[in-house]
Amino acid sequence: MLARRTYQFLIVYAAGLALLLGLKYLAGLSDYVIPGPLLVWQTFRDVYGRYAADTLNTLSVAVLGQIVSICLATAIGILGRQTTWFGNFVKVAAYNVQAYPIVALAPIIFILLGDGFITRLVIAAMICYFPLLLVVLGVMSEPVVEIEHFYRITGRMRWQLEVKIRAFENLHKLTTVVAGSATLAMAGTIVAEFIAANAGIGYSIRIALYQSDLGKILVALFHIGISLSVYQALLEWAGARVQRRWEAAGGDVAS
Amino acid sequence: MQISCDDIALSLAGAERPVFTALSFTLKGPGFHALFGPSGVGKTTLARLLIGHVRPDAGRVSIDDGCLRRLYAYNLERLPGWSSVGRHLEKITPAQHRARCAELAAEFGIEPVLGQRFARLSLGQKNRVNLIRYLVQDFDLLIMDESLANVDERTREQIIVKIKALFPDRFFLYISHNVIEVARFCRQVLVLRGAHRRPQAVTVPGLDGRGGATVSPEMEKAMLAIMNAV
Amino acid sequence: MLLACLIAAAPADAADPVTYRLKWLCNSSTVGDLYADVHGFFAAAGLAVEVRAGGPERDAIKELELGQAQFGVASADQVIRAAAKGSPVVVIAQIFQVNPLQWIYRASRPPIDDLADLEGLTIGVTYGGNDETIMRTLLAKAGLDDRDVTLMSVRYDFTPFYRGRADLWPIYRNSQGIVIADRMTRAGEPVRFFNPADFGVRYVANSVVTHQRLLETRPDLVRRFRQALLQGWQAALDERNEAQALETIARFDPDTPPDLLARQLRVTRELVRPTAGFAIGRIDVKAWRQSEAIMRGQGLIPEPVDVLARLHGPEEP
Repeated sequence: MLARRTYQFLIVYAAGLALLLGLKYLAGLSDYVIPGPLLVWQTFRDVYGRYAADTLNTLSVAVLGQIVSICLATAIGILGRQTTWFGNFVKVAAYNVQAYPIVALAPIIFILLGDGFITRLVIAAMICYFPLLLVVLGVMSEPVVEIEHFYRITGRMRWQLEVKIRAFENLHKLTTVVAGSATLAMAGTIVAEFIAANAGIGYSIRIALYQSDLGKILVALFHIGISLSVYQALLEWAGARVQRRWEAAGGDVAS
Repeated sequence: MQISCDDIALSLAGAERPVFTALSFTLKGPGFHALFGPSGVGKTTLARLLIGHVRPDAGRVSIDDGCLRRLYAYNLERLPGWSSVGRHLEKITPAQHRARCAELAAEFGIEPVLGQRFARLSLGQKNRVNLIRYLVQDFDLLIMDESLANVDERTREQIIVKIKALFPDRFFLYISHNVIEVARFCRQVLVLRGAHRRPQAVTVPGLDGRGGATVSPEMEKAMLAIMNAV
Repeated sequence: MLLACLIAAAPADAADPVTYRLKWLCNSSTVGDLYADVHGFFAAAGLAVEVRAGGPERDAIKELELGQAQFGVASADQVIRAAAKGSPVVVIAQIFQVNPLQWIYRASRPPIDDLADLEGLTIGVTYGGNDETIMRTLLAKAGLDDRDVTLMSVRYDFTPFYRGRADLWPIYRNSQGIVIADRMTRAGEPVRFFNPADFGVRYVANSVVTHQRLLETRPDLVRRFRQALLQGWQAALDERNEAQALETIARFDPDTPPDLLARQLRVTRELVRPTAGFAIGRIDVKAWRQSEAIMRGQGLIPEPVDVLARLHGPEEP
C-alpha cells in the first residue's frame, strides 16, 4: 500500500516535472520562469533538510487538524442526524459555516488567534471537516432499518446504539473518507500557513513565492507529496485494521 | 384478546392506487392465526397498521387491552455484525427468559451456529435466529411476516408446533404464502383480497393443528375455502 | 470627407497592440500608467495598450518571457533575481525614485535619528519580502544583528502595531501609510515614518521592464511606449491636472474616498518626482548598483549579475 502510493506519486511528480522542463526548452524560457534540472537539483540539495522539517511540522498540524475535524464532524453528524428542528438547525449551520471561503475567514481567525499553532489548526480543521461531515451526516441520517427495527420495536434503541449500528454498517465508507480527507487536512494546513502563520511548509512556499523561486516550490511539492503518500497509506492500513478487528472481535456497546 | 379494523382506508405516499378502501375484520385471540393473500395485496401494510407504524386515512383500528404489547418480526431483518449470534441473544434476552432462549435455540436447530456471525448463517438460520429473539421478549401479539421463509418444511412445522405449545395464551398473526401450512396450523385465516374487492378481507377457519400429518377431507375443505376467498 | 475618415481611422488601424502588466492593483501608485491610457497618450503614440492590474500572484517578468505581456512593472529585486537566472529582462524606466516601502512608528516614542536607535526595538518585517532585505541592510549598516532587535513577522493586518506589540511596522508610504497615519492620529497617537533612504539605503522599487528581444527587434515600439508612458506620468503628477488625475484613479479605485486619494497622489508625487523639474522615469544607476550589492551581500543572488547592463532607460546625468 505504502510502496504503491509512493511510486504513484513519484510517477505523477516526474511527469509534472518533465512537462515543465519540456515547456521550458520548447519556449526557451529562462531559469527564472522554470528552473532547469541542475538548478532544481541544487535547490533540492540546499533546502532539502529545512523543507523536510517544515513539512513534518505541517504534517503534524494536519494530523491534529484532521483529528479535530473528525471529532467535529462526528459530533455534528450525530446531532444533525435527527429529523427534529434541532437536527435541521445543526445541519444548516454546519453547511453555512462551510459556505464562507476560508480566505475570507482567515483574517478574522488570524486577528482572534494570532499567527501561531492554533490558527493553523483551526483553518486545517475547517477545510478538512466538510467532506467528513457530509459523509458522517449521510451515514448517520440513513437508518439501517433491517437492524434497527428490532431495537426500536422492543424499546431498546439508544442513541449510542443507533450511532454504533450506522457506523458499523458504513465502516468502509467512513475509513475511506478519513483516509481521503488527509489530503484536505494537509492542504488546509498549507493554506493556513500561507496566509496566517510563521511556520510550516506553506510559510516556506510563501517566502519562495516572494522570491519567485519555482525551484524551491518544486522541492516543497516533492516533500508534501511524499509525506502525504506515507500518511495516507498509514491511514488506509489503520482503517483496514480497525475494520478487521471490529468485525472479528466485536464491540460490546449496549447491544 | 381481540383486534379489529373498521372501514379502513389507506393510500401509501407515491402509490397510484389505495391499499385499503373499506377494510373491516375482527380476529379474536389468543392463538396462532394467519394473514394470507397474494403478493402486493397489503399484508405487510396491514401488519404495520396493527402495530401503529402507519395510520389509516379513515376508519378505526381497535386493539383491546389484552394485546397491548405488540411486536412485528419480518424475514429480512439482520443482527448487528459486531458480535456472534449467541452473544447477541444473550444480550437481548431478559433474565427471566434465558432458559426459554436456550430451549428455543435447541428446538429451532440453531444451537450449532450460536458462535457464528449472523452474516455467515444461511437464510433459513437467519430467520430462525431472528424469530427466537422476538419470542424471548414480553409480548401479547407477535406478527410473524414470513418469519420462516427459507426454512425446510419439516423444521417449519416443528417450530410452529413448538410455538403453539409454548405460547398458548399469546396472539400470533403469521403471514405466509403456504396455503397448506396456514390451513393446517392456524386457528383463523384472515384472507386479504385486492382493494377493489368487497369485502376486502374474509376470515376462514383453519384446522389449528388438529388435522394430523396427512391431507384429510377436512383439510382439503379448509384449503379450498381459503383459495376461494382469495 | 472620405479622406478625413481614412486619416482618422489610420492610426487606430496601425496601432500596435501591447499588453502592460502592472505590479499591483490600480491605486495612486499606478496613476501615471492609468493616465497615459485613459487620456490617450498611448493611442497618440500609435499603441493599443491593454493595461492589466497586478496582484500578489502576478509576475510581469514571467509574463514577458511567456509572451503574455510586452511591458510590465517589476521591483528591482525581481529584476535582479530574474537576471541572476538568465532572464532576458531589461529595465526601460524607473518610476519610483524613492522607495515607498517605509516603516511607521508612534511619534510618542523617541525619533529614529540614527540607525543605532533601532537597537532593542520590535520591528515588523515580511520574511522573504523586500522589507526584510532593506531592514537587514539597515541593521548591518548600524552594526546590529537579529539579537539586537526583535523581528516580528508581518501579515496583512496591522493589529500587532495597533496593539503596541511592535514599535516599527512596514507600510507603503503613499497608500496604507496615509490611511494608518489618519487612523492613529484620530485615536490621539500621531505617527512618524522611518525612510531607509534617509540613512543611505536606496533600494530601488518599481520599474518598467520589457523583453531584451523586443528592445532589439522593435526599438521604436519600446521608445514610443516609454515616451507615452512617461508623458502620462508627467501629466498625471502635474499639479494643474490634479483633478483629472484623481478622477482617473477613482475610476479604477472607487473604494478609496476622494480626499484620501488626493493625499495619496501628493505623496506619490514626492516619491516619483522628488523635485519640480525632475524628468520622471530616470534610472538611478547608483541605487541599482546598491540594490544589487545588497542582494549579493545577503546571499539572495549567488553571483553578481551586472545589473547595469540591464538598464536601458533615461539615466541620471
